[in-house]
Amino acid sequence: MKLTKMFLLALSVSLFVSCSNDDDNSNDPKGVYDNGVFILNEGNFTSGGSVSFISDDLNTFEQSVYSAVNGNDIIGTYVQNIFFDGDNAYIIAGGSNVINVVNRYTFKLVAKIDSGLKNPRYGVVKNGKAYVTNANTYAPYDKPADDAAVITGNTDDYVAVINLATNTFESKIDLNGTANRIVEENGKLYITEPYNSNKLIIVNIATKTVETPVTIGSSADSVEEEDGVLYILRSPYGNRSEIVKVKLSDKSVSKVTFPEALDGAGYLDIEDDKIYYTVGSSVYTINTNATTASLTPIINSPVANLYGFAVEDNRIYLADSGDYKTNSKAYIYNLTGTLQKELTVGIGPNGFYFND
Amino acid sequence: MTLRIRFAFSLFLLCQFISAQNDTITKLKEVVVSDANLKKYSNSQSVLKLNDSIINKNEALLTDLLNFNSTIYFKEYGRGMLSTVSFRGTTASQTAVIWNGININSQMNGSTDFNTISGTDYNSVSVKAGGGSLIYGSGAIGGTVHLNNDLAFYNRFENSLKLDYGSFNTIGINYKANISNEKWSTQIGFSKNSSTNDYKYLNQYTWRGEQRWNQNGEYDVITVSANLGYKLDAKNTLRLYTQTSNTDRNTSLIVESETKSKYVNGFNRNLLEYDGDFGRLKANFKTAYIFENYQYFANKDLNNYSYGKTESLTTKADLGYSLFKSTQINAILDYNRTKGFGSGFGNNTREISSASFLVKQDFNEDWKNEFGIRKEFTANYQSPVLFSFGSSCQLSEFYQLKLNLSRNFRIPTFNDLYWEEGGNRNLKPESSYQAEIGNVFTFRNITLTQTFYYFKIKDMLQWVPGNNGIWSPQNTNKVASYGAETLLSWKKQFGKNIFAANATYAHTISENVVTKKQLFFVPFNKVTAAVSYSRNRISANYQFLYNGFVYTQEDNDPKKIVPAYNVSNIAINYDFKLLSSCKVGFQVLNVWNKFYQSLEYRPMPGRNYNMYLNLKF
Repeated sequence: MKLTKMFLLALSVSLFVSCSNDDDNSNDPKGVYDNGVFILNEGNFTSGGSVSFISDDLNTFEQSVYSAVNGNDIIGTYVQNIFFDGDNAYIIAGGSNVINVVNRYTFKLVAKIDSGLKNPRYGVVKNGKAYVTNANTYAPYDKPADDAAVITGNTDDYVAVINLATNTFESKIDLNGTANRIVEENGKLYITEPYNSNKLIIVNIATKTVETPVTIGSSADSVEEEDGVLYILRSPYGNRSEIVKVKLSDKSVSKVTFPEALDGAGYLDIEDDKIYYTVGSSVYTINTNATTASLTPIINSPVANLYGFAVEDNRIYLADSGDYKTNSKAYIYNLTGTLQKELTVGIGPNGFYFND
Repeated sequence: MTLRIRFAFSLFLLCQFISAQNDTITKLKEVVVSDANLKKYSNSQSVLKLNDSIINKNEALLTDLLNFNSTIYFKEYGRGMLSTVSFRGTTASQTAVIWNGININSQMNGSTDFNTISGTDYNSVSVKAGGGSLIYGSGAIGGTVHLNNDLAFYNRFENSLKLDYGSFNTIGINYKANISNEKWSTQIGFSKNSSTNDYKYLNQYTWRGEQRWNQNGEYDVITVSANLGYKLDAKNTLRLYTQTSNTDRNTSLIVESETKSKYVNGFNRNLLEYDGDFGRLKANFKTAYIFENYQYFANKDLNNYSYGKTESLTTKADLGYSLFKSTQINAILDYNRTKGFGSGFGNNTREISSASFLVKQDFNEDWKNEFGIRKEFTANYQSPVLFSFGSSCQLSEFYQLKLNLSRNFRIPTFNDLYWEEGGNRNLKPESSYQAEIGNVFTFRNITLTQTFYYFKIKDMLQWVPGNNGIWSPQNTNKVASYGAETLLSWKKQFGKNIFAANATYAHTISENVVTKKQLFFVPFNKVTAAVSYSRNRISANYQFLYNGFVYTQEDNDPKKIVPAYNVSNIAINYDFKLLSSCKVGFQVLNVWNKFYQSLEYRPMPGRNYNMYLNLKF
């Protein structure tokens, strides 16, 4: 049973990155955890996840913030994503079907959203509502494509609409497909999923309807929006990796196809008109308007299995999944590839979230 | 040095407890034990035998019996849920469970879930510490747990029925019938142990302030057994053991909003055995067919599940010959064919043959030696040559010295070899060298057994995540384990008052050779103790368990531990002497109402109650 779960996890290994910024311009700290970075640690089958914190000046580090502030409360298993709204941070624990709402500056628990969620993955916020992808049931991998359970597993994913004023589940938008990462732009949700989908699903928030999807190819994971263009990294097994650019105004698609040496690309992030992407434990960068990939890494990290990646404010953040039995590591580099800080975080670190 | 000091200290500790467990050991007429080698080839190691009177004093599932009465450490995912062991600091698949002489650890994951077995289905449960791969094969590194059904050949018609009712709708129906004469022996058993298991977590509240309780923890374990023995004549005996079981469990939640899942597993075991006794030559042939299966429903409300099943055929020929009065030899040939199929590992077959040779030499009553060697042959992996050497010597009336050296192993499982994706067909078996010294002191009514052991395990199998996110097993670690085990028993009668006491203490160091870290989920210390008192029709007992803290992470992060705990049970029963025996009993479990858990976020119940009726007729 343990193995089964472990493999379920391994299968759904969705790795993670997302940099949620918000528009708070004041730099006066509003609490202990203002002006810093949360590192989300997924946890393993038995232990539940945890959250680490490093301050922007890299001087203050706390390995386990949530339990330090909230004592015995269980954050949940397989913590996957954090998103912010107002004074709150929303921590999604996928294995526990729960979103922990905490004050983003003190990390004190405010509420839990614990209904309407089934394997929640990632969330975004628009106008006081959160939109959270839910993987719902998974297709059994040993059954044929026409098996009822496979069909259900591949079509039952949905977006949960959550009212952030009351922290309650409000409604759901069925996607008739599979969902994982989500981006919001101009009242529309853009959703990718790397295992069973070759489409970019588009949802109109106002009408709560699914619009015609854009075919982008299989194994699409990281997705970022910049100046009206979605940048999606896909790395199909045994095939060339690509950055797929979708122009949101007309849904036109263009591609930067990587050479074979960059097969199995992992993550992508965009910062200051530059695309940063990873292959194995190395980081590369190109301009957003580049038409070819760079083969020269700017970082060769000691990471064994890259599990979390982000670029923010002239720093590059990398997390090593580790072996899920020991506290693992996160690394912070500057843009020229010099290591700034090495941190011992929790089990299975999978993402960085910037609390500024 | 430190061991010695600790030993002295442990002795001191133990002497504080009084106890008694070896109730009535009835001197029986002819009883044929199913696993003759257990007695024959274990003089140099320590065997703790728990007979049916002890079995009946504990909760039905095997975890409870062994947790309160042996040095084995248990990790339970909540009461009645998945329960795995660590014996002498080893992993769950390094303790072999032996059913009437046949290794029944899962072919799929290599271990046994001790909450799927009811102790009442057996006449005795024995715990043998230390290596036993020579006779019992894969997994007998930390030790072996023996589930034995004994068949008696004398005139009798006996029935025993135990009915339990306890907190959380815990219901036990355990029935056994023995019907035999001098030619035939039949034993029929039925057990059903179930619970809604919805206990409250002591002092645990949700963020809304609601009392937390064990949700989705229901279990139901049913086993039917039938064993038959027939004496063809004075020299030839046939025996058949069969057992079928089904365990239907939900899996208790860590967080209330989790998806409720369910796990169903079962087995069917059949063993046909022939014994021939021709003076100097003794022959034993066994054929066993064992079927096991599981279904895991990630969401119990849906009909989708992952599954696995294996069918395993074992045949064994064991020829024994007495060269001299003092010297016996055994030659054993063994063939096993296992077919496995499942959603995780496809469809695979594995064949293993082995040959072993054993010698037992008793120079006299006081000095006994045993030696054996075994080699396996299979296309699946390179198998090491296993051996065991042991000697026991009664140096004085009250002191016996035991020595044992052995090499043992654990073979890769179907999951390890064939899992899709990640299974690794190039794995080696885990193997270990082990040495132990046992001291047995017997003075009057006290028996004290002290065993020091040291062993090294190499090529430990470990699933590690690869670059592509796919996990795969590798032969990575080396582990060194050493420690001391103490078993104490005492019994005394003052007129009509019978007192008895039993205690065990294990001190275990089990560390990764490279990192020097203690293996996670291996406690440094574990103590059990039991005291009983009986007078005429009344008897009472008190049980105590102390489990030291364990690390929950491989890096021994001092903040990531399950704290030490202790639990006590108390019971009293009265025999109305209706029929041949009619005991009514009442138990208070976790009598001091302490919060405890063996795994993080898996609290066990607070004070709870059980009453039972035990009829013999």
